[in-house]
Amino acid sequence: MLKSVLIVDDAAFMRMMLKNLIEKNGYQVVGEAGNGAEAIEKYQELRPELITMDVTMPELDGIRAIQEIKKINSRVKIIVISAMGREEVVREALLAGASSFIIKPFDEKKVVTTIERILS
Amino acid sequence: MPKSSRKEPLLDLYIFETRQMLEELEQKMLQFEQTSELESSIHEIFRIMHTIKSSSALMKIKNIANLAHSSEDLFSFLREVNPRDFDGSGLADLVLNIVDFMKTEIIKIDNQQKPDGDCNELIRQIEKSLAGLQQSNPEFTARKKKAADSIKYDFFFTEPGKAAASPKKNRFRAVVFFEKDCQMENTRAFGTLLELKEVAEIVHYYPDDIIDNKENELLIRNSGFHITFRSDLSFKKIKKFFGHIPLIEKLQLQQLKKEEPDQAFPGVNFAYHPGEPEQAATIESLEPRVHPEPGKDQLIPVEAGKKNVTASSRQIIINVNVAKLDLLLDLIGELVIAEALVTHNSDLDGLSLDNFDKAARQLRKITNEIQDVVMSIRMLPLTIIFRKMNRLVRDMGHTLGKEIRLETRGEETEVDKNIIEHISDPLIHLIRNAIDHGIEPVSERIAKGKPEYGTISLEAKEAGGDVRITVKDDGAGLDKQKILQLAKQQRLLTKPEHELTDREIFSFILLPGFSTKETVTEYSGRGVGMDVVKDNIEKIRGNIFIDSVPNEGTAITIRVPLTLAIITGMTISVGYSRYTVPIDAIVESLKVSGDDVITGQNGKEAVVIRGKQYPLIRLHRLYNVKTEITEINDGIVMMVQNESKRSCLFADGILGEQQVVIKPLPIYIDNIKGIGGCALLGDGAISLVLDIEELLSK
Repeated sequence: MLKSVLIVDDAAFMRMMLKNLIEKNGYQVVGEAGNGAEAIEKYQELRPELITMDVTMPELDGIRAIQEIKKINSRVKIIVISAMGREEVVREALLAGASSFIIKPFDEKKVVTTIERILS
Repeated sequence: MPKSSRKEPLLDLYIFETRQMLEELEQKMLQFEQTSELESSIHEIFRIMHTIKSSSALMKIKNIANLAHSSEDLFSFLREVNPRDFDGSGLADLVLNIVDFMKTEIIKIDNQQKPDGDCNELIRQIEKSLAGLQQSNPEFTARKKKAADSIKYDFFFTEPGKAAASPKKNRFRAVVFFEKDCQMENTRAFGTLLELKEVAEIVHYYPDDIIDNKENELLIRNSGFHITFRSDLSFKKIKKFFGHIPLIEKLQLQQLKKEEPDQAFPGVNFAYHPGEPEQAATIESLEPRVHPEPGKDQLIPVEAGKKNVTASSRQIIINVNVAKLDLLLDLIGELVIAEALVTHNSDLDGLSLDNFDKAARQLRKITNEIQDVVMSIRMLPLTIIFRKMNRLVRDMGHTLGKEIRLETRGEETEVDKNIIEHISDPLIHLIRNAIDHGIEPVSERIAKGKPEYGTISLEAKEAGGDVRITVKDDGAGLDKQKILQLAKQQRLLTKPEHELTDREIFSFILLPGFSTKETVTEYSGRGVGMDVVKDNIEKIRGNIFIDSVPNEGTAITIRVPLTLAIITGMTISVGYSRYTVPIDAIVESLKVSGDDVITGQNGKEAVVIRGKQYPLIRLHRLYNVKTEITEINDGIVMMVQNESKRSCLFADGILGEQQVVIKPLPIYIDNIKGIGGCALLGDGAISLVLDIEELLSK
C-alpha cells in the first residue's frame, strides 16, 4: 500500500511540481486542494496519511486549516510549505501542529527525506 | 498563446498561472485607484506577490522572483501597518509598472527567449517607497519589536528546579546537526524542541534565543543545537525519535549517568560546553535513508502512475491546448457530414429500413450533442477583453488629462474563442476614439454643465445567435452636418441627401480615409481609422452601427455572431448548384405569381408582397447558372433581411434546413460578391454559403 498524500497549495503550478516530485518517489497523491477550506473538506473525504500545506492561501489560510484538521485527527502528519525567511509563520504552523516544514524554493532531496522521516 | 510544440507542462502552467495572477493584480490596483481603499484586497495582493515569488524562484527566473520578493516586503508592511495616509496613486503607478515588467518577461519566456529585463530600477523604487512608509510610520517598527519581545516562547522550559524534581528518570544530552543548506535553522531547532516536548521535559537548550537572533542560525549550522532533557523513554527510543525528525543529518546523543548507572556510557561529561561537542560522546549518525526497501522500488512508480488516474480524475478543470480544440471542431464538422452521408446514402433510396432509421436517428442525436458540447468548450467569457480596457482607460485618461470612468456590464457573456481574438483590437480602437474624440476636456464639460468625469460604458449582451457589444460615451457626440459635408466632398453619397438616415450618415466614418479629427494624438487619429474596425468586424460576419446625439454622446454597437464555424442554414437549389442561406437572415419563403413582379425604369425588378415592394435578386442570373426554372411562379421566392433592408431571392426550390460547417473559399477563387464561404452538404455536394449583408449592399 502506497502512503497517501494530500497537496494543499493555491498555485496549481506548485501543486503540479510537488505532485510530480512526490509520486516519483513512491507515494500516492490522493488529492489536491487550493485553499484551507478545501483542504479540510478533502482531508475528511480522503483521509491521507500526510498533508503538504501551503500557508498563504485565499479563503482560509494554512495555519487555520492545520488547526481544524488537527481537531479532526490529531495524529495526521502535516508538512508546511513556506517561503524562506517567514520564521514567524512557520513557528505558528508548528505550534498549530505541523510536524515539519519545507522551504520554497525547495530542493527535491530535502522534500523527499522530510516526507520519509515524517512517515517512517 | 502557449507554444504547442513545447513539451514542458510545468513551464506552461507557470506561464499561464503567473499571467492570471498578474491580470488579477492589475485589476486590484485599478480598483484601488478608484476607491482609494486597499484594505480589502491587500491580503490578496500580498498572496499574489508571494506566489509569484515562489513559483519564479522554483523556475529559476531570477528577475521576476527578486522583484516579487521586493514587492512582497512592501505589501507586507502595508498589510501590517495599514497606514492612513500615503501616496496611493504613486503606489498604483509603481505596482502597475511592476506588473508590466513581469508581463513582458513572461512573454519573453513564452517565446522561448531569455527573461533578461533589468528590474533593479523598480526594486530601487520599491525600496524607496518602503523606506518612506517606514519613516512616516516610526511607531510601527517599535511596536513590532515590542510585540516580538513579549512573546517568550518559554513553554519549552521546565524550570531548572522543577526539572530536577521531575519524575522522568532518564537524562539526556543531544547535539543536533541539521543538513547543510537546510535554512532557517532557528526555526528547525524550534520545531525539534516542539516535537521533543511531547516525549520529554526540556531542561536547557543552546543557543537559547532561537526566535529573534538571526546570528544563532550560523552557530547552529556550525556547532549544532544543544539540548539537555529528561525522558522516560530509553536511549534507543530517543535515538529513534530523532530519526523521525526531518533534515537532521547528525546527532550526538548521550545518556547522562546518574540515576541509571547501569546504562552508563564511557566519557560522559556533565559539564556543558556549548560549541564544543564532546569528542568521547556517543555519535549516532543519521544518514538519510532514502529507500529503506530497495527491492520494492522498481514497482512503485508504475503503481503510482496507475493510481494516479483515479487521483487526477478528481480535478475539475484541466488546461487544453487550443490547437487540439480546433482540430476537434474540424473533426466534428467532418463527423456531421459523414453521418449524413451514411444515413442519407442514395443506396438506401426506396428501401424500407425501420430499424436502420431508428439507429440513424439515435446517431444523429448523439452527433448533434457532441457538436454542441465541443462548441461550448470553445466559448470564453468576454471578461478577458473587458478587463484589458480598464487599464487602457486609466492610462489614456492620465495622458490626456481627462478623468474617465469605465462601466462594464455583461462581461460574463460567452463567445467563441476565435471571435474573441477578432474583437479585441476593434474594441480597443473604439474606446480610444471615445476617450480621445468623444469625451470633452474637463473645462468644456464644466461649461456644458456635465459631470467633470466622463463615463464610458462597455456593455455586452446576447441577442439571438449574436452578441451585441456597445461602447457608449457621454461626450460631445458626432457632428452630423460635418460628416455629411465631408462625405459630399469625398463623393461618398450613394443616394440623395434627404433619403439618408442618421445611422447611414454616421456610418460614413467607417469608410476608408474618412476622419473628422484634424489633429493627430498619441492614441488615435493616426490614419488607421474606423475602416479597419469595420473590416475586422465584417471578417467575422459581424457589423457595426452608430447612434449619436449631440452633447449627449455616441454609442457604437458591434454585432458579432456567437460562433464562426457552424451556422444553421436553409439550402436552396438553382440548377445543379446549391446555396445555403443563414437561417437568421430569412424572413419567409413563398410562391409568387408573375403578376407580382414589376420592372422599374432602371430595369431593376421588384416583387410586390402584401402591397410592399422588395428588390428581386434572381440567383441564376446573378451567378450565371443554367436552370430550367426561370419563371417566377415555377420557383420559390425567399425574403431575406439584413438590418432594416429586405430583398427577395429567387431560386428553383428549397432542399431543407441543416447545420453546416463553413469553410473559406479556396484562394484560387477570386472574391465573389455575396458568397461568404462554402460548405460540404450531407449528400457530398458542395454548397455556397450566401453572405446576405454583402448581397444586399449592392
